[in-house]
Amino acid sequence: MKNRFKDAASYEKMICAGISILGFLCLWQLVVSFTAVGELLSGPLIVLSKFVTSIAEPIGTYTIQLHIFWSLSRVMIGFALGSAVGIVVGILMGWFKIIDAIVRPLFEIIRPIPPIAWIPLSILWFGLGEGSKYFLIFYAAFCGITMNAYSGVKSVDPVLIGAAKMLGANNRQVFTTIVLPSCIPHIFAGLQIAIGTSWATVVAAEMVRSTEGVGWMIIKGQDSNSTVQILVGIVAIGIVGYILAVSMRAIEAKLCVWRVRGK
Amino acid sequence: MKKKENYWYLSILSILAFIFIWWLFCDVLKMTKESTLPGPIKVMETFIKKLSSTAPDGATLIEHIGSSLKISMGGWAMGVVIGTPLGICMAWYKKIDLFVRPVFDLIRPVPGLAWIPLMIILFGIGLTSKIVTVFLSAFVPCVLNSYTGIRQTKDVHLWVGQTFGASNFQMLINIAVPTALPLVMTGVRVALGASWTCIVAAEMLASTKGLGYMIQQARGIFRPDIIICGMIAIGVIGALFSWLLSLIENRIVRGAKHI
Amino acid sequence: MVNQEQIKVKVDHMTKRFGDLLVLNDISFDVKKGEFLCIVGPTGCGKTTFLNCITKLYDLSQGEILVNGEPVNPRKHNIAYIFQEYSTMSWLTVEENVAFGLKMKKLPKSVIKKEVDEVLEIVGLTKYKNYYPVELSTSMLQRVVIARAFAVKPEILLMDEPYGQLDVDLRFKLEDELLKLWKKLGTTVIFITHNIEEAVYLSENILVLTNKPTTIKEKLSNPLPMPRNVVSPEFIDLRNQVTDLIKWW
Repeated sequence: MKNRFKDAASYEKMICAGISILGFLCLWQLVVSFTAVGELLSGPLIVLSKFVTSIAEPIGTYTIQLHIFWSLSRVMIGFALGSAVGIVVGILMGWFKIIDAIVRPLFEIIRPIPPIAWIPLSILWFGLGEGSKYFLIFYAAFCGITMNAYSGVKSVDPVLIGAAKMLGANNRQVFTTIVLPSCIPHIFAGLQIAIGTSWATVVAAEMVRSTEGVGWMIIKGQDSNSTVQILVGIVAIGIVGYILAVSMRAIEAKLCVWRVRGK
Repeated sequence: MKKKENYWYLSILSILAFIFIWWLFCDVLKMTKESTLPGPIKVMETFIKKLSSTAPDGATLIEHIGSSLKISMGGWAMGVVIGTPLGICMAWYKKIDLFVRPVFDLIRPVPGLAWIPLMIILFGIGLTSKIVTVFLSAFVPCVLNSYTGIRQTKDVHLWVGQTFGASNFQMLINIAVPTALPLVMTGVRVALGASWTCIVAAEMLASTKGLGYMIQQARGIFRPDIIICGMIAIGVIGALFSWLLSLIENRIVRGAKHI
Repeated sequence: MVNQEQIKVKVDHMTKRFGDLLVLNDISFDVKKGEFLCIVGPTGCGKTTFLNCITKLYDLSQGEILVNGEPVNPRKHNIAYIFQEYSTMSWLTVEENVAFGLKMKKLPKSVIKKEVDEVLEIVGLTKYKNYYPVELSTSMLQRVVIARAFAVKPEILLMDEPYGQLDVDLRFKLEDELLKLWKKLGTTVIFITHNIEEAVYLSENILVLTNKPTTIKEKLSNPLPMPRNVVSPEFIDLRNQVTDLIKWW
C-alpha cells in the first residue's frame, strides 16, 4: 500500500538539499555583509578559505589536520580503554548477581555526574597534560558502555537460554554462544552514544586546559576575538563528529548483519 | 535462569565499604594530600559550610545551584518547545523534510558545548550566550527523537484513519503523535541531560556564578573538597531530573510503549 | 433485473497495474445494498489490492468504482475497513478505540458516547471498555476492531481476512456475531477470505477470482437458509463447487 514515509527519489533529495544549504549560506553571507552582525561574525566564504589555507598555514603551533589528529588521538586512547573496561564490567555485572549487587550501587552513584564535571578534579589528579584527558574520555566511554552491556545481558531472551540448557549446554557455553552474541547490538548502541560523548568531552577538556587540539582552536579564537578561527574549529569538530558516528555505524552493520537486514 | 536471590545487603555493604576505605586512606592513614583528595568527613564539612558560606568564590552553594538551574531550564524549555514540533513537522510533511533536514544535518554533529566560544563573542558573557548554547544542545535531541518517533507510525493505523475519512492533520494529531510520544519523551529527557552538561561546561569557561564556575574556581585554589561537593550537587540534580521526567513519562504515555 | 437504486457499489472495468505487473484485469460487478458478498480466490491473486482500490488507498490504473452512483470517496461515503493486521491503537483504551472512527468524522461527544456504548454492548466488551489493548487477548482485539468498524454505522464494510489468524471455535463465534450485526444494521459487506467454508457459511453471494492477472471466474449465489449447518449435504455440495472453481492445479 501507499507508504507515507517512503523517501523521495535521491536526485530530488540532492536538489532540495543543495537549494536549502545554499540558501542558508547565502543568508548567512548577506547578513554578515550588509548588517551590523558583520562586525562580530565572519561570513561563510572567509571561513571556507581560512579552513583551506589552515591546512598549510598553522593556527598556533599546528596546522588544522594536526589539531584534529591531537584531539582524535586523545579520544581513541581513552575510548578504547573505556569501552574495553566498560564491556567487561557491564557483562560481568549482568551475568553474576553478586557482582551486580556489589558494583552497581557504586556505578549508579557515579553515573549521573557528567564527564565534564570531572574536568577540574582530573586536572588536580593527573595534571595539565594528556593524563587528565585520557581519564576524562575513559570515564565518558566507560559510563555509556557499561550500562548498555549490562542491559544487553539482562535482556537476553530466557527462552533461548532454556533451549540451550535443554540441549545440554553448560553455563559457559550458554554464555559464549547465546549471551555474548545477543548483547552485541546493545553494546554497539552504547559505543555509538559513547563515541559522541567522548568527542564532546575532549572538546570541552581542551577548551578548559590545553595547548593544542580543536577545542583549543575555538577557545583561542574566543580569546583573540576571531570568529573565523572559531568557525573553522566548529566545522572541523562537526566533520570529525560526523565521520566518527558514520564509521561506528558501518562497523556495526558489518558485525551485526542479522540486525541490519531485518530493518 | 538463575535462582532468585536477593543481595541487597551486599549493595549496602558495598557502599559502606567504599566510604570506609576512602575514610581510612584519607582521614586515618593520611595517604593523600588535602590538595588532591580530601577524606569524606572533610567533604561533608565543606558541603555543610558551603550551604551558607560565600567563600571562596562569592556565592553559596544554593546560589550557584539556583543560577545553573535557571539557565539550563530556560534553554532546555526553549529547545523542547521549538525542537519537538520541528521534528514532528519534518517527519510528517515531506516538503519541510526535504528543505529543513539538510541544514539540520549540518549543525547536528557539532556538540552543543562547541558553540560556547562563538556565542560568547556574539552575545557577551552574560545570560544570553549561555541560554543560546544550552538551547542548541537541547534542540538537537528533541528534533531527532520526535522525527524518529513519527516515522514509527504504523501504516495500518494510517489506513484505518484514511478509510474513516480523516484529514491529513487529523491523522497527524490522532495517530502519528501518540505513536511518537514515548520517543518524544525520551528526547525531552536526553535534552535535559544535555543541557545540564552544557551549562556546567559554559560556566567553567565564562561565568561568575553557577556550579561549573564554582568547581573551576576551586581547582585554581586547590580545593578538591569544594570540587567534590560541586560534583555531588551536579550528579544529584541530574539524577533527580531524570527521575522526575520518567515519572511524568509514565503519566503521559498510555497503553504499552511499543507493541 | 436489479433496480438502479439498489446498487450500492458498482465496479466498472477495474484495472490495476504495478509497473509492468498487471494485478487486476478489467473487473466489473455490482454489489446490492445490504448484500453480504464474499470474495475468494487462490493465494496471492490480489484480493487485498482489490479492497485497497475500493477504499482509494490505491488509485486505479483504469476503470472506476462508484458508490451510490458517485466516484468513491472515503471523506464522503461512510466506509469501514477491517484489515488483516491487528489495527487497534495501543495508546487508546477499548472505548476510545471504538470511538476512533466517529471522532474522525467529528461527531458530537454525546452521540459518540451513545453509539460506542451500544456497539460495545453488542460485541460484549462493555466490561473491558477502560482496558488498553495490551491487556486483552487477540480475539478481544479483533472484536474491538469490528466494533470500531460498526460504530460508524458504515454503508459499506470491507473485511480482509479478519479471522485468518484465529482458532476455529473463536472464528465460529465471531462469524455469528458478524452475521448478527449485519442483519441488525443492514450494512453492505464485502468480505475477503481464503477459507471456503467461511465464505459459504457467511455469504449471500460468492465471487470467485482467478490467478493473476485477476479476473472474475464466477459469481455464485448462496441460497442456503441461515443459520447454516456446516455439515449438511447442501452446504458440503456448495463448498465443493467453490473449491473446484478455485483449484489452480
